[in-house]
Amino acid sequence: MKLTTLFEKGEFVVTGEVGPIKGAIHRDKSIEPSCAIEALQLHQHVHAVNVTDNQSAVMRLGSLAASVRLKTNGIEPVYQLTCRDRNRLALQSDLLTAYSLGIDNVLLLTGDHIQLGDHKEAKPVFDLDSVQLIDMAKGLKRGYDISGSRIENYLDMAFGAVVNPNSDPLDLQIMKMKKKIDAGAQFFQTQAVYDVTVFEKFIKKVEKFNCPIQVGIVILKSPQMARFMNKNVSGVHVPEDLIEEIGSVAKEDRKKKSAEIAGRFVKEVKSICQGVHIMPLGWTDIVPDILEYAGIKHK
Amino acid sequence: MHATIQKPIDEIIKHIQPGEKVFVVGCNNCAWKCYSGGEAETEMMAKRLEKRGIEVAGYTVPGPQGMSLCKLSHTRKVLLEDHADEVKNADSFLILGCGQGVHTVIDATDGGMVHPGCDTVFGGETVSDTHIEEYCSLCGDCIIENTGGLCPMTLCAKQLLNGPCGGAEDGHCEVDPERPCGWILIYERLKKLGRLDLLDSYQPPKKNSKWSRPRSLEVSPTEATFCSISGKVTISNQD
Ligand code: SF4
Ligand code: SF4
Repeated sequence: MKLTTLFEKGEFVVTGEVGPIKGAIHRDKSIEPSCAIEALQLHQHVHAVNVTDNQSAVMRLGSLAASVRLKTNGIEPVYQLTCRDRNRLALQSDLLTAYSLGIDNVLLLTGDHIQLGDHKEAKPVFDLDSVQLIDMAKGLKRGYDISGSRIENYLDMAFGAVVNPNSDPLDLQIMKMKKKIDAGAQFFQTQAVYDVTVFEKFIKKVEKFNCPIQVGIVILKSPQMARFMNKNVSGVHVPEDLIEEIGSVAKEDRKKKSAEIAGRFVKEVKSICQGVHIMPLGWTDIVPDILEYAGIKHK
Repeated sequence: MHATIQKPIDEIIKHIQPGEKVFVVGCNNCAWKCYSGGEAETEMMAKRLEKRGIEVAGYTVPGPQGMSLCKLSHTRKVLLEDHADEVKNADSFLILGCGQGVHTVIDATDGGMVHPGCDTVFGGETVSDTHIEEYCSLCGDCIIENTGGLCPMTLCAKQLLNGPCGGAEDGHCEVDPERPCGWILIYERLKKLGRLDLLDSYQPPKKNSKWSRPRSLEVSPTEATFCSISGKVTISNQD
């Protein structure tokens, strides 16, 4: 099911995220890869689950294979597709393949640079940027490839995109967001935000676009992890008071605290956005608590 | 200019066979500015090779200062006439210059054996006597009209044409925090110029066929023809 259908119905759309395994899926169908197991844990609580595409430029199982596995298990995947590893031929071909295999939602991104990952000497492709990727995908929806040739059986998927409300200068980020909407983006998932004021300021500037936005949440696991993100994950900023808060409880109580912090944030911003995208980084078990704290009814 | 940096000496000598007589050729333009193949470095290279037991048949840097090694007619004259005997005696040429210079020596010597003495790193602006910076990636399809003359193909690590990724931190690029985010440079410049409107229009994907290899250019005083796999484009400079 397309997420756009849910947004149209006015649902507060909840998505989770899993990263494909570093390896192949077992031929024995009774053995689930860990990403599928995590997705199954999320299943009861979210509308769909994002499947990352060689996230952080670390080589893994293809996002499409993992997405299809989720779909087979009855979980709605949001297939992530990046420009880093594919030129325009491969991107279009993968989009057609995804649709042919039953994928309804695709998140179209630029992708992290190869330098951040585990294959630093690979050739970065970036034949297209994310705006051009979305524009090209829209062409496939209308029956044309990027060279203008007609295709048969157009694809019909919901196109998602990303935006970073923490960006400075924000207007430059919003300029790009506008281009993505003009190109055909139908919903947005944001980079992780921790500061209500930052998110409110962002929403004020973009509500005129009338495009659904899911606020991005990366679960805080420990003060160390928060500091690591501040240092190493560009475009994300965890405020000092939250770092102190997660550090204020003993290790065994961290999950509970973490759910509280995330839930409290979502509760504060849920009225100004159309959904939440939770990146649990393996702590899938606390997602129900986050939603509980936030006062969001399970789907 | 073509920025070059000398290869490590051990890597250079590794490829020279026992008994091979080497003629060293420098460049009086770009490599001179890079201190990788001017007169001083070329003479020094001859000494460094000799010190390592390699026989040097001779050396030269086609002059005067400012003269490019890649000017074939001149290099040919210098090698085949001015240095005729040493060149005849040489088994190979070690070139302290860019890859174009290496090929110029192949042409000038009618197919002589060559060793590249430098890595050619980029085409850049000589910002000062000690600093060269890359501002153009020589793509063949220039799109900087809309970016205030700053090239996102070169200044943005992901070569994004429609605006920044979300990763810049304090104005620095997520890929290399030592460097400014190219898109923030573009934004700040256009803001200063009062032309942020230039950023609004959609930039279509690049015509990579113009970035194909190899490419050539036929020139004359009145027109030029650029040849790539995208075809031949002739432009007049007269009307
Ligand atoms: S767009 Fe191409 S030609 Fe223009 S400055 Fe950039 S790399 Fe050079
Ligand atoms: S941070 Fe800026 S320069 Fe670096 S990849 Fe992103 S947009 Fe390009």
